[in-house]
Amino acid sequence: MSVMKQCMAASLGMLIHAMAFAGEPGVALKVDQIRAEPFGDAKVTGALKAGDKVDILRKEGGWFEVKVAKSKGWVRMLSIRKGDAKKGGNEAAGLLSVASGRAGTGKVVASTGIRGLSEEELKAASFNAEELKLAESYAVNRAQAQQFATDGKLVARPIDYLPAVK
Amino acid sequence: MNLNKRWIFTGILCAVCGTAAAFDFGALKDKVNAELPKQLPPVIPQLPQPIPQVVPPQIQQQVIQQLPVNPAIVSVVKEVAGPTQEEEIAIGHQIAGNLLGAAPLVKDAKLQQYVNRVGAWVASQSERPELPWHFGVIETNDINAFAAPGGYIFVTLGLYRQLQNEAELAGVLGHEVGHVIRQHHLKILQQSKLLEAGSKALTSQTGNNDAVQKIIGSGAEIVSRSLDKDAEFEADRIGVVLSARSGYDAYGLPGVLQQIGHSAKDEGSVALLFKTHPHPDERLDKISVAMGARFDKIKGETLAKRFYRVK
Ligand SMILES: [Zn+2]
Repeated sequence: MSVMKQCMAASLGMLIHAMAFAGEPGVALKVDQIRAEPFGDAKVTGALKAGDKVDILRKEGGWFEVKVAKSKGWVRMLSIRKGDAKKGGNEAAGLLSVASGRAGTGKVVASTGIRGLSEEELKAASFNAEELKLAESYAVNRAQAQQFATDGKLVARPIDYLPAVK
Repeated sequence: MNLNKRWIFTGILCAVCGTAAAFDFGALKDKVNAELPKQLPPVIPQLPQPIPQVVPPQIQQQVIQQLPVNPAIVSVVKEVAGPTQEEEIAIGHQIAGNLLGAAPLVKDAKLQQYVNRVGAWVASQSERPELPWHFGVIETNDINAFAAPGGYIFVTLGLYRQLQNEAELAGVLGHEVGHVIRQHHLKILQQSKLLEAGSKALTSQTGNNDAVQKIIGSGAEIVSRSLDKDAEFEADRIGVVLSARSGYDAYGLPGVLQQIGHSAKDEGSVALLFKTHPHPDERLDKISVAMGARFDKIKGETLAKRFYRVK
């Protein structure tokens, strides 16, 4: 295969990859800048304000490439909520109502008939020794874990825990 | 000294060290045993015994008399407050067995092995790598994950199916590892049932353990109890950091939260998760502020290719 063909195959692959993400709607949660590249110090090419609709094209690390009305660029993933703005009629106020505890008041109603884990089921559960033995049989020791990491080119690095935010 | 006096004794210690959570969990007796190995009879762990037989009255008396004047004793008490690791594991063992009674493992050995490898690697980056960590995927469409003391962690098949890559799995497991290493569920037990049950010798046994069951309440109900919101935010921060320490993209867990908050809003499959955890949007908001730009320069792997996909 020629270099040219390889190139074409690669860009086709990327295109397909990008298409898989195309059109996934999102909404800006807060004011943020749009940048030319997925880096905090990359050139600013635009801005988003809370409630702006975007199209999420792809993800890289903590960044989304988004398409907005006029421009395209990278924005911090955590400034975007997935989903469309329509549903967000109440979603625009979503964060506020969540913060005030609405989500915790049991408003989410469990639909009946779906096999799930209800509190009642958990309460009534009795000890399954056989299943637990099976679960414990899959245990991995530290050497195996290290080997698995090495196989995946995962390199451990020291990173401090994050302080709590008020 | 009888049992009542024993609790009064414990109460005095609590008052002295100024923390309501610092009551005896059997660890104190171990500490005393360790310090006075020759004078004390060996503890027989398999037989839950009344406490007075474990620590002779004269020893307790001695501690009480020294307490007001000896700050060293106070620090010892602080240090030993809470269960021993063995007790912690015994409690987790019982909860895990009960949880599996409610939802068995997905019968896919490759999946279970894979999840254990990712989990063990992530847990090895925590400050408690020596715990006997166990991970599993359980058969339910519910979207949730559970942690039991001592290192037992389960993800539901419903949640697993939402995941896109290994970094996301690492983030979810890291959140649960956070609950275990900060003993969030254990602290709930310490605040309630244990006082009623009293301190008994708890040991890991292969089977059902009645003494432990008394402490954890009915079945696996403990995993459906809500933790303090701050405990959840803390577990999120730990999940992010442990996955980043493990070499993964730090944004795995935030990505999952984003997905869950978006796709499963009013469905029954998230009812329990939403009841026991702050809403994903609120968690995202908190983790976003906590992470800030700290991870901009810390690239990591997502390993989407290696991610084990269930049929
Ligand atoms: Zn949690």
